[in-house]
Amino acid sequence: MNLPLLLLFGFAVLLMLLLAWVLRDPRKFPQPDVDLGFAEDLDRRHVTYFPQVRQSMAAEDSAFLASRASLALTRRVRRERRKIALAYLACLRGDFLKLWRLARVIASMAPQVGAAQELERLQLGLAFSWRYEMVRMKFLLGFAPLPELGSLSGVVSRLSIRLETAMKEVGERAALAARLASSLDGHGLDTP
Amino acid sequence: MGSFPPYVRELWACSALLQLIALILLFAKGGFRKLPFFTVYVALNLCQVAFLVFVYSIWGSSSPRGTILAWCSECVTLLAQALATTEILKVTLRPYQGIWGLIWRALAFTSTFVVLIVALATRGAWVSAGWFELNRGYHLTFAAAVIACLLLSRYYSVQVPAAYKMILGGFCLYSCTEILIHTVMQSLVKKAFYAYEPIWQSSPTISFIVVLFIWVAALWKPLPIEAREAAPPSDSTYQRLSPEINVRLRELNEKLLRLWKLEARPQ
Repeated sequence: MNLPLLLLFGFAVLLMLLLAWVLRDPRKFPQPDVDLGFAEDLDRRHVTYFPQVRQSMAAEDSAFLASRASLALTRRVRRERRKIALAYLACLRGDFLKLWRLARVIASMAPQVGAAQELERLQLGLAFSWRYEMVRMKFLLGFAPLPELGSLSGVVSRLSIRLETAMKEVGERAALAARLASSLDGHGLDTP
Repeated sequence: MGSFPPYVRELWACSALLQLIALILLFAKGGFRKLPFFTVYVALNLCQVAFLVFVYSIWGSSSPRGTILAWCSECVTLLAQALATTEILKVTLRPYQGIWGLIWRALAFTSTFVVLIVALATRGAWVSAGWFELNRGYHLTFAAAVIACLLLSRYYSVQVPAAYKMILGGFCLYSCTEILIHTVMQSLVKKAFYAYEPIWQSSPTISFIVVLFIWVAALWKPLPIEAREAAPPSDSTYQRLSPEINVRLRELNEKLLRLWKLEARPQ
């Protein structure tokens, strides 16, 4: 089998794998109309806990502890704090993904979607995932660039507030559409 | 038709029977109203079986006239297949006008891209195996385009009803197996075609029979009611928010990048 044929064969196998993946029923397939409910979760954003996390990771605290406590205890505390930072970073990612998904919901409801905008968002999402993994590795290796987490949280926060307003608007529209459809189905009768 | 071994004729009969069942189900359950092009496609396939039996009985399967007529009938069914698939995608994505517009563009892009790849990969072979290459090129383009559409639907959380998913999956599965069979056969033809002729004759029919089973299962229950409008148009919301969201996401990415590069300074 020569190279072009091998490439064709590989491409066909890749297509089959993709087909299997795309037809697989996702466990939690969010529907645009139904998924609006998770906008409420934004009220309980993880970014709101940043001050506590930052306090627990403060360099002064570490220095104070190192001067007073034993080496074993200091190490243990450092390990615990790193765990907290990692968990916090994971939660930040969760927030990002939620917002990213909300943006897709808005796009799915729009009568006209800009390809450039969507492509850019896809790129941003992929870049974020990659960088998140890199930063997570840094935490795992012992680095903790915590001061910057503050501004990171700020970005997520601003985005959430803006999106919350938008989602409320979209949610109201969806509810109105559902009511209209329901009354049309029931020939004017609103059935439970 | 007598030139074919008995098991090939049996496979053809089995395929024709399943196509007939699928057609009956489409009419009995009212599916022909929702998917007229798909109904036409199934009917055309059934007609093609009768046509090929007639052609091969008169001219034989290896005569040039028989071959040309068989390939011409294949072109008609392939065109019907493309129309039937577009119909299903349109029915599914009708409530999502923006996504449908985007998918159309993605379809055009993917198709052009795959056609170019096929043209490059098979350059020089057009004179000797024109029909063969055209058929494979079509299936490659078709499968890539449909999978791209399904990927986009999944990305935007658009739920494709199970029955439509099964029909589309069947089309793609058949196209993928056709590509695999054609590619493997092409490498074997050069060595000893006649040794592998039984495989060449039976494998596409077997894969089509599998697909027909999937379709019969999909058509067993009435097709889902057409999705309504998901929401009234909210174009302004999208136009207003989309660029802003992207700016914020970019900002967030830059922060992460700074964390990675250790350029961050305490604020």
